[in-house]
Amino acid sequence: MWETLAQAVINGLLIGGIYALVSIGVTLIFGVVKIVNFAQGEFVMIGMYISFFLATQFGIDPLVSLVVSMPVLFLAGVLIQHFLIRRVLGPNDMPQIFLTFALSLLLLNLSLMLFSANYRTVHTFYSDEAWHIGGLYIPVAKLIAFAVAMALSGLLWVFLHTTDLGRAMRAASQNRDVAMLMGINPNRVFAVAFGTALALAGAAGSLLMPFYSAYPFVGQVFVLMAFVAVVMGTLGNVMGALVASLMMGVAESLGIQFVGADSGLIVVFALLLLTLAFRPSGLGARRGR
Amino acid sequence: MQTSGKLKWLWLVIGAAAMLVLPQFVTSSFAIDIFIRILLFSFIGVAWNLMGGYAKQLSLGHAAYFGLGAYTSTIMQVNYGISPWIGMIAGGVVAMLASLPIGWLCFRLRGPYFTIATIATAQVLMLIFLKFRDFAWGAEGTTIPNLGSAPLMMQFEDKSSYYYVVLGLLVVGLWITHEIEKSWIGYYLVAIGEDEDAAEAVGVNAPKVKRDIYMISAFLTALAGTFYTQYIYFIDPATAFSFSVSIEAALVSIVGGIGTLWGPVIGTVLLETTSALLQSWLGSSVGGIQLTVYSLILMAVILWRPTGLIGFATDVYHRYVRRKPRAPEGRCDGGSIGRQGSQQAVRRPARGAGRQLHRAGERDGRADRAKRRRQDHELSFDHGISSPGLRICARLRP
Repeated sequence: MWETLAQAVINGLLIGGIYALVSIGVTLIFGVVKIVNFAQGEFVMIGMYISFFLATQFGIDPLVSLVVSMPVLFLAGVLIQHFLIRRVLGPNDMPQIFLTFALSLLLLNLSLMLFSANYRTVHTFYSDEAWHIGGLYIPVAKLIAFAVAMALSGLLWVFLHTTDLGRAMRAASQNRDVAMLMGINPNRVFAVAFGTALALAGAAGSLLMPFYSAYPFVGQVFVLMAFVAVVMGTLGNVMGALVASLMMGVAESLGIQFVGADSGLIVVFALLLLTLAFRPSGLGARRGR
Repeated sequence: MQTSGKLKWLWLVIGAAAMLVLPQFVTSSFAIDIFIRILLFSFIGVAWNLMGGYAKQLSLGHAAYFGLGAYTSTIMQVNYGISPWIGMIAGGVVAMLASLPIGWLCFRLRGPYFTIATIATAQVLMLIFLKFRDFAWGAEGTTIPNLGSAPLMMQFEDKSSYYYVVLGLLVVGLWITHEIEKSWIGYYLVAIGEDEDAAEAVGVNAPKVKRDIYMISAFLTALAGTFYTQYIYFIDPATAFSFSVSIEAALVSIVGGIGTLWGPVIGTVLLETTSALLQSWLGSSVGGIQLTVYSLILMAVILWRPTGLIGFATDVYHRYVRRKPRAPEGRCDGGSIGRQGSQQAVRRPARGAGRQLHRAGERDGRADRAKRRRQDHELSFDHGISSPGLRICARLRP
């Protein structure tokens, strides 16, 4: 019993690390640019396909391809911010929601057209490796993904707290108008925030590749989880998103273990709805704008 | 577009007559199928538009009500032999009741997070119906027993009868929208959509108005769910609670013109025609092409024409056909959204605004006199009303 429980918690934490990379991206964009990026999951998918093609065409290990997928998606983020998002920033919610939503639909269906709906996997030498500690089973690929995800989150924290640009981003997320008055260039800050968020999504994709299949709809799995985590953690709060993502991972894993194999999502959504019902002040206090 | 009253009626009558005789001339079952799809999604769009368009509560979870309507009537028909005509209304009532707790939860969030919460509720319902194998057949779904020609059980031999059913639904939906649009509740909705806090500050009971409009919207969406199941003779959680229903409901309204009476209809005509053409050109071999094109259209509309096709047509009409000062008379068309709309909103003395809102309030028998007086006072006191929606309230003509 206790072993099953511990195993479920470990599984949840390991996948929660990946959820964290996605939801930190969502919350970063929300905090700084004040929009919700519905397309975040699709960038995880793109990261996975980048790693997949580098692995199959050039034999590059998915973990190494991190150094390609992250800069590529950072650049994509800067461009998307510059050419698309910048045009809809304003007090009106509708264009913002539906622009990123349209972007999500576009990327998803383009990849469906280009790559077909087939599941694609990359097999690495560590894909099937696992450590056995006591009665517990720890897959190496997931452990590496978790460790790298935590390291990237830590790096982001250092970046946000020690560099000028990071401080500018935090300032912009705390009070945009005052930050602008202090001479912070909003376009630059927004572009970096969007790029960083997409780079994190790309990293999540590369990290997933050794143990997860790439297919056009894969982003949906992660983005739903990320939204739940971002709503449950404080909106726009990087630390909150990280903690909530790990919790979501554990909740989903416990749901799969103790409620039923198809019930992971039900448990997660139930948690979201419970949060909304009983702690709305913590969530609704900041206007979702 | 501004047309005089008589001309408008003439157009309406001609349009209605054309729609009524259309199936007599078009006999191809493929074409009729496309017309039915256009009417059905127009109707769903109209239902979505009531809440998403006028009150700007951008839901992407209307599949929840579509599915509830579909399942209620199907369960009643298959398990108890009750006619889907009754099941349709029952489904609507179930959806209305379901919208109460769902709205209670989701309206706690605003903006994009409201949207996410609505997606989650539709997903939860789909997962629940996947689990209920006992009376809802789980993931396999079920087929509706084919009774041949049985109009009382909403089953017809020819497709044109389905066409008339869904045409009737659309007419009901448009009529309800029209009634709401010209009544005080329509102005309240637009005010909430523009700035909820400001609307509440002048005495609009926003939670109640949102709850009521959500119920109406859910009811109508559920009717569409019943019709669709009867039309395709099949139900399973993946079709009934399909995310693409939620998407299409929002998409057609935005492309056509969000918060306008005819927007969803025009949007559906464009999108469904495009999709039909794509299918006939490319065949259905290339997966994802339809939604790729839809998303490109959506992005183009958002970036260049946030008021949708109706707003575009109105602009063109006023620029080239009839030059007219931009003051939509007592109705809120697409001009009220987007940056352009905000800037062009008519400025009127706030005293007039107070008087008009007072009139609007008088029609609302439940608003008490003292509250109205306070609204009057506040409104006439403050000359710089911030929200265009409130100005639209102010534009309500005697």
